[in-house]
Amino acid sequence: MQLYELTVQETVQGVRSKKFSASEVFEASMAQAVACESRLSALITLTVEKGREQACAIDAKIARGEDPGPLAGVPVVLKDNICTRGVRTTAASTVLGHWSPPYDATVWGLLQDAGALLLGKGNMDEFAMGNTCGSSSFGYTANPWDLTRVPGGSSGGSAAATAAGYAPFALGTDTGGSIRQPASFCGIHGMKPTYGAVSRYGVIAYGSSLDQVGPFARTIEDLALVMQVLARHDFRDSTSVAGKGLDFSLAPAALKGKRVALVKDFEGFSLAGPIQEAKKRVLAVLKEEGAEIVEVELPTVARYAVACYYAIALSEASTNLGRYDGVRLGYTTGSSTDVREMFEEVRSQGFGFEVKSRIIAGTCLTDSSRSEEYYIAATKVRALIAREFEQAFKKADFILQPVTPELPAKIGDAHEDAIKGYESDLYTLPVNLAGLPGLTFYVGHSENGLPVGLQLLGPRWSDAELLSAGLVLEGYLGKPRIATGGVSE
Amino acid sequence: MTEEKLTFMPVIGIEIHIQLKTNSKIFCSCSTDCESAAPNTNICPVCMGLPGALPFLNRQVVQQGMLAGMALNGTLRSSTLFFRKSYFYPDLPKGFQTSQCDLPIMENGWIEVQDSEGNPKKIRIHHLHLEEDVGRLQHSTVDGRLEGADTSFVDYNRSGLALAEIVSEPDVASAREAVEFVTNLRRRVRYSGASDVDLEKGMMRFDANVSLKCSDGRRGDKVEVKNMNSFRALERAIDYEIARQTKILSQGESVLQETRHWNDARGVTTGSRTKEFYRKFIVEPDLPPLVVDSEWEARVRAMLPEMPEEKMARYIRDLALSEDAAAILTDSREVAEYFEACVAAGGAPVRTANWVLTDVLRCVNEGCSISAFPVSPKVLADLVTRIEEERFSTTQARAVFDHIVETGSSLAEAVKLCGVTEGGFTGSDLAEKVRGVLEANPDVLEEILSGKDTKGKKVKFLQGLVMKETRGSAKMPDVEVAVALALEVAKGNSGGSSGS
Repeated sequence: MQLYELTVQETVQGVRSKKFSASEVFEASMAQAVACESRLSALITLTVEKGREQACAIDAKIARGEDPGPLAGVPVVLKDNICTRGVRTTAASTVLGHWSPPYDATVWGLLQDAGALLLGKGNMDEFAMGNTCGSSSFGYTANPWDLTRVPGGSSGGSAAATAAGYAPFALGTDTGGSIRQPASFCGIHGMKPTYGAVSRYGVIAYGSSLDQVGPFARTIEDLALVMQVLARHDFRDSTSVAGKGLDFSLAPAALKGKRVALVKDFEGFSLAGPIQEAKKRVLAVLKEEGAEIVEVELPTVARYAVACYYAIALSEASTNLGRYDGVRLGYTTGSSTDVREMFEEVRSQGFGFEVKSRIIAGTCLTDSSRSEEYYIAATKVRALIAREFEQAFKKADFILQPVTPELPAKIGDAHEDAIKGYESDLYTLPVNLAGLPGLTFYVGHSENGLPVGLQLLGPRWSDAELLSAGLVLEGYLGKPRIATGGVSE
Repeated sequence: MTEEKLTFMPVIGIEIHIQLKTNSKIFCSCSTDCESAAPNTNICPVCMGLPGALPFLNRQVVQQGMLAGMALNGTLRSSTLFFRKSYFYPDLPKGFQTSQCDLPIMENGWIEVQDSEGNPKKIRIHHLHLEEDVGRLQHSTVDGRLEGADTSFVDYNRSGLALAEIVSEPDVASAREAVEFVTNLRRRVRYSGASDVDLEKGMMRFDANVSLKCSDGRRGDKVEVKNMNSFRALERAIDYEIARQTKILSQGESVLQETRHWNDARGVTTGSRTKEFYRKFIVEPDLPPLVVDSEWEARVRAMLPEMPEEKMARYIRDLALSEDAAAILTDSREVAEYFEACVAAGGAPVRTANWVLTDVLRCVNEGCSISAFPVSPKVLADLVTRIEEERFSTTQARAVFDHIVETGSSLAEAVKLCGVTEGGFTGSDLAEKVRGVLEANPDVLEEILSGKDTKGKKVKFLQGLVMKETRGSAKMPDVEVAVALALEVAKGNSGGSSGS
C-alpha cells in the first residue's frame, strides 16, 4: 500500500504514531498528483512549497512532542474559490488575474490549525457556475474513471483529485449540487452541510444564501473527521450559526427503525438504468438493515425548484460579481482612458461566456420592472419549498434520491442546451434552497465502469445523523476505490 | 382682461446623511479615525470588498442609530433587513452599497420649527436608515497637481463608516425653515450622542428635493439637489433652485425632473446628464435580519439624555431662568450639563446661569473646552455661593475665576494668590489694615488731625486706600467705622502727647 492511498484516518494515525512522517505523506501525494495531472488537469495550482513547509512544521511539532492536530499530515486539495493567503486564488476566472489573497478563508485556517497540508487548488467552473468544470478559464478536468467524460462540477477538480488519490480529502463548495454531483460522477463521497454549519468567510461568493463549503473523501469516517474540524461558529460569517456544537462521532445501526422516504413527485422522471439499479440495491440494503421505506410528496419542489433556484442564485451572483471592476485587484487591460471604459473592458474580457450570461440574467431578474415577477416571487417560492421539506421530514427521517438523472456525459457533449443543463440539477438544488444537509454516497460502478452515487437528505442540522446512516450503507456497499484512469500506463 | 400675478409655493423635502459616532466601521473592526490616518491604512478585506470577505454588523452602530432615531421622535422597527444597492463606481468596493433602505430602523419622526408667522410647526421625518459610506476619490496629475487631472486615486479609509440617512417628508416651505429644521435636528442628534455632527469634518451632508406648487394649479416636477455640506450651502441651494424653477414656471414652461448638483463656489445648481440605471434592491444575503427587541430598546432609551427643548422648558419653569438664558444654555449638551452640575453642587440657578453665560462661555468661545473646563462645576458653585452669602464680592470672585482659568490652580491656591480673604475683612484684620494705611500716610493723618479736612475728602481718601489694601474684600460701612475708630485713637494719642 502506497502512502497516497491511505485514508484521512490512516494518515493521521500513521503520522501521529511516527510510522511515517508528514513529509513522506506529502511527497507521496505530490508524486501521485504529478503522475496524473497531465491527463486529469484537476488542479489550477500545485502548491509544492507551501505543502512541504507545512509538512516540515508538522514533523517538527511531533519531534517536540506537541499535539500536531486532528488532521496532522493530511494533504488536502481546496477548490480554487477558497482564499489562501499568499497562494493564487482564481475562482477559475481570468478576471481575478494572479490575485493572491492577503487573508485565509476561515475553513482553510481551521484545516491548517488541525495540521492539514495544502497540496493544491482544485479546478472548477468559473465562479462555481456550471456542473461540468467546462466553464473554467483554465480548461477541462477529466473524469478519473473515464478520461473522455466530465468529472462534474462545479467542484470537479476537488472531486477528481480525491478520486485519483492526490489527497485523501478535498474541500468543495455546493450552491446547487456542486459537491454532491461531482462526488457522484467521480465515485467518492461528498457532503453538503446544513447552511450555517460551516463558515463561508473567505469563500468567493456565487449565490450567498445557497453557498456552503463541504468535504469530499473516500470514506464516510473521513468525512466525519473533517466535518468535526469545519463545523464551528465563525463570527466573521453572520449566517454561521452559533451554539450548535455538532458532534460527528458516528452512531452504529443508525438506520434501524428509521423511515427513509422516496419522493413521489420524482417517480415518473426518466432515470438512467445504472442509477435505477443503484436505487434498487440501496433500497434492498435499507430493508435488510431494518429501515422503513415511506413516500413523501414535494410537489412545489418538483415543479418550481429549478426556476426558483436560478432566479435567486443569479440575482445574488450578479451583485456578488459587481466587485470585479479592475480597480483594486485582478485583470486589467491597461488600455482604457476613462473609468467607464475600464469597467467595460475588464468585465467583458475578464469573465467567460457562462458567467456573463448569468450576470446579465441576474441583472434582468432584479431590474425594477421585473423584480416583483422574478426575484421577489422566487423568494416566496423558496419559503414554500423550505416548508414543504419541513412537512416531509415529519413523515421521514431521511430522503433517498438520485443525484443526477444521467451518468457523466462525454466532454464537449455536455449540455449544449443550457436549460437542459440547468434542469439536470433538479435533484440537488432544492437542498440548497431549503438549507438542508445532503450526502452523496458511493454505491458502485455501472457495467461500463462509470461510478454511481445516490443522495441521502436530512432535516437541517441532521448532518451527523446523515453520516451515521452513510456509514451503515458503506458497510454494505463498500468504500470507494482510487480511480486509476489518471495514471499513465 | 385682468391678469392675476402667479404665486409659487415651495415644497421641500430634505435628505440628511450623518456619520454615526462609533469606534469601528459598520461591517468590520477597522478604526473610524480618518483624520490622522494615511490613505488606505484603516482598511481590511471586508471594507475593501475583497473576494470572499463577508460583513458582520457592528452593534454599536445599531445603538447609535437607535439613539438618533429616538432623538428625532421616531418609532423603532423591531425587525429590519439590509439590502444591496447595486451600481458601479470606483469608490464603491463591492459594486453595491449595503443599506437598510426599504426597511429602516426608525420611522415617523418629527422636528419642530417655527413657520413664517412664528407658530410652531412639525416637519415630519419619513425614516432614518443605516448604511455604509464609500471611499474617497482624489484626482491628480502624476506630479501631484489637481489641475488637468489625469490620474485618480481612491482612499478606502472612509469605506464602511457608519451612516444614518434621514429623509424628511416634503413639509419644508422655505430655505429658512430648512435651515431651522436641520439646525434643530443637528442639536438633538448631538445631544443623543449618536454623532458629533461636525459639519467641518463632513459628518453631516444634505440633499434637497425642491418643487413648486403654482397658484394656477400647476405642480412642477421634483428636482433633487445634491452636494450641500453646510447650512449656508443648503440655504443658498434651495433659494437658488426656488428662483430657477419660479422663472421657468412663470414663463409657462415645465421643470425637468432631474438630479442637480450644487456648485458652492459658483453658487448655482447644474444638471447632470447621466441617467442612473434603476435596479431593485436585493436582500443582503450575508446579514441575517436585525432584531431590536424591547429589552434592547429600553436599554438604549435609558441612555437617551433629556433633549434640549425639554431642558429649556424645565430651566424656565423650575429654575426661573429667562427664555434667552435657557435657550443659550441648552444649545449645547455639554454647556447645559456643566450648568446643571454647578446647580447640583449648590450654585444658585439664576446667578450660576449668569456666570455660565458670561464668564464660562467667554472662555469657551476663546477656545477653552467645556468638557475639561478648568473651573470645575463644584468650584463655580462655591464661588457663586460665596457671592450669594456676601463672603466674596463679584470682583473678588471674578479675580479668582480668571486666575483658575489661566493657571488651572485649585480654588484655595487661587484665593491665596489673588490675596482675597475668605469671609472678608472685619474686626481686628480690618483694624490692622487701617493702622497700616495710617502709618504709611503720616502727612494725610496730620492734616486730618489738625482739622484741615473740613469736607472729609482726606478721610474718603484713606477709606479708599484701605479698600484697595483689602482688594475689595471689606465692606464699605465696615471700613468707614474702622477708619473713624482709628482716627479717634490717633486723635487721643496726639492730644495726650502734646499735653505731656
